[in-house]
Amino acid sequence: MAELTRVRSAPAAARPRRRGATAGLVARYAVLIFTVVLSIFPLVWLVLTSLRTSDELFAVPVQLFPSTVTFDQYVTVFTEYEMADYVTNSVVVSLATVALVTVLALPCAYVLARFRLPGIKVVITVLLIMRMIPVIALAIPLFAVFSGIGLLDTVLGLVLTHAASKLPVAIWLLMAFIQDLPKEIEESAEIDGAGVIRKLVLVVAPLIGPGLAASAVLTFLFTWNDLLIALTLTSSEAAQTLPVGLTNFVTQFGIDWGPMSAAGVLMVVPTLLFVWFAQGYLVKGLVAGAVRG
Amino acid sequence: MAIYEDTLPAAPPARRSRGRPQWLTGYTLAAPALLLMLVIFLYPLGHSFVMSFFRWDLNSVESPFVGLGNYTDLFTGSSFPQTLRNQVVFTVASLLIEVVGGMAIAVLLNSKLRGLRPARTLLLIPPMVAPAVVGLNFRWLFNEQYGLIDAVLVRLGLPAIPWLSDPGWALISVIIANAWQNTPLLVLLFLAGLQAIPREPLEAAAVDGASAWRTFWSIVLPLMRPVVVIALMIRIIDLFRTFDVIWLMTQGGPGNASNLLTVEAYKLAFQSVDFGHAAAVSYVALVLSLIVLALLYGIPRLTARRAATWQS
Repeated sequence: MAELTRVRSAPAAARPRRRGATAGLVARYAVLIFTVVLSIFPLVWLVLTSLRTSDELFAVPVQLFPSTVTFDQYVTVFTEYEMADYVTNSVVVSLATVALVTVLALPCAYVLARFRLPGIKVVITVLLIMRMIPVIALAIPLFAVFSGIGLLDTVLGLVLTHAASKLPVAIWLLMAFIQDLPKEIEESAEIDGAGVIRKLVLVVAPLIGPGLAASAVLTFLFTWNDLLIALTLTSSEAAQTLPVGLTNFVTQFGIDWGPMSAAGVLMVVPTLLFVWFAQGYLVKGLVAGAVRG
Repeated sequence: MAIYEDTLPAAPPARRSRGRPQWLTGYTLAAPALLLMLVIFLYPLGHSFVMSFFRWDLNSVESPFVGLGNYTDLFTGSSFPQTLRNQVVFTVASLLIEVVGGMAIAVLLNSKLRGLRPARTLLLIPPMVAPAVVGLNFRWLFNEQYGLIDAVLVRLGLPAIPWLSDPGWALISVIIANAWQNTPLLVLLFLAGLQAIPREPLEAAAVDGASAWRTFWSIVLPLMRPVVVIALMIRIIDLFRTFDVIWLMTQGGPGNASNLLTVEAYKLAFQSVDFGHAAAVSYVALVLSLIVLALLYGIPRLTARRAATWQS
């Protein structure tokens, strides 16, 4: 299934021209444009909403484009809400989770891919099943456990929880990449007298760079996007992340739509950056992760 | 499990490095990751399994053992059966929309189209956006006074729809928002699968004068079966733990109209402080998704032979 990611460069079949081929082509372009517009427009609308004045947000009938473009909502988000804290927490939690997952997943995946040890097949199967477990089954008991040991409402508690829940995917992903490496390279490193750790860091890690990148990008985005774990385990600006911040815009007095859409736009920025600059790794990670479980 | 058996690593012959026994090196390297998952993942899971057999009450210090009491309570209560019904409707409808819609779009796009490459990049955006943002954005789009969708409906001379306030529409609304986010992912997955199909059987069918429809059903779909199974698997796992979109759109309301299992478990645990019932609900969600996945693994085994005849 590895060829799935490579096929994009394969030339399409040269089809003989038939009657109605032009009509078919027009229909295909219509589907293409319709699909893309439908997929993107709601996000464009979110951006347009965030640029309106508070009065115009509640104008009837709804105007397609804002009559005056303003960044007031973005200012409000930082002055009247704890946006700076949410952003900081989100960045710190996501980056720390990526670091922890990478450091822990690489040696573990290497052992699972290359060592013949008793119990390894069981570990691999358990990892697979762990990927199917609903997060809520984890979040409820963790709330009880963390409140006992003071990890509730801390960045550390969030990082540990995210790392543990993203590790199964990362390990499976890296395992797939390590298995595709020719063993001879590692063996020649062994002859040169390199220990396991040196071999892993200096030989294996550089060779599976795309795998590490894919695992890092996916781990970052899934941590960045998570609402349920953060909502359960945090209660103040000390550790609340952006998605939890979004829920704070929903108050008993109603929803503060303007700032909320500005916050939503800010949350989507890293997603757009990753899709733009790392889409190859994203697709690779999603496909490899999907195929291997 | 058929898919995975082939992908399990073929372990190389045991080697020794620097005289240290290989098993010690192996377990030492794997230990940190395994320990973290054991403490933060598997232990809590066991903890909540035990929790689901005890009654937790805010008013009393003791939490007595109630056996299967929490589970039987769920099915005799009024809100859980509706939540379960919602979950089934939500899962089946979402799968139908996403898989059928995704396949239809992928088949139509599967040719040398100018602009397909940038389109693919754009289609990757919705699946990667935070579901919480999707939820709030659709809550705004579906707003009955200031929302865009009802404004368009009224402009077209159609009646405005009470998307989020009407119990009959709320579940449909969250299904639409969720399908908007996830269908593009399946389009991309199916498109990749379609392009990997060998050309020979398709050409043979064209020579025999088979219709496009017939070619799709008899050749393309059987060859795509592994990709479809993977897509179903990813989506089923995800649909049984959907929370974020619902939480920001409806919080399961109005009433219980758009409540799903994960939302119900969250509400029980953190609004009613009823950890026993909450744990029971989360285990029902887990067991249900495992049952559906087990069925899914069984079906390709039965039908794999049909696809195999084409590949030989």
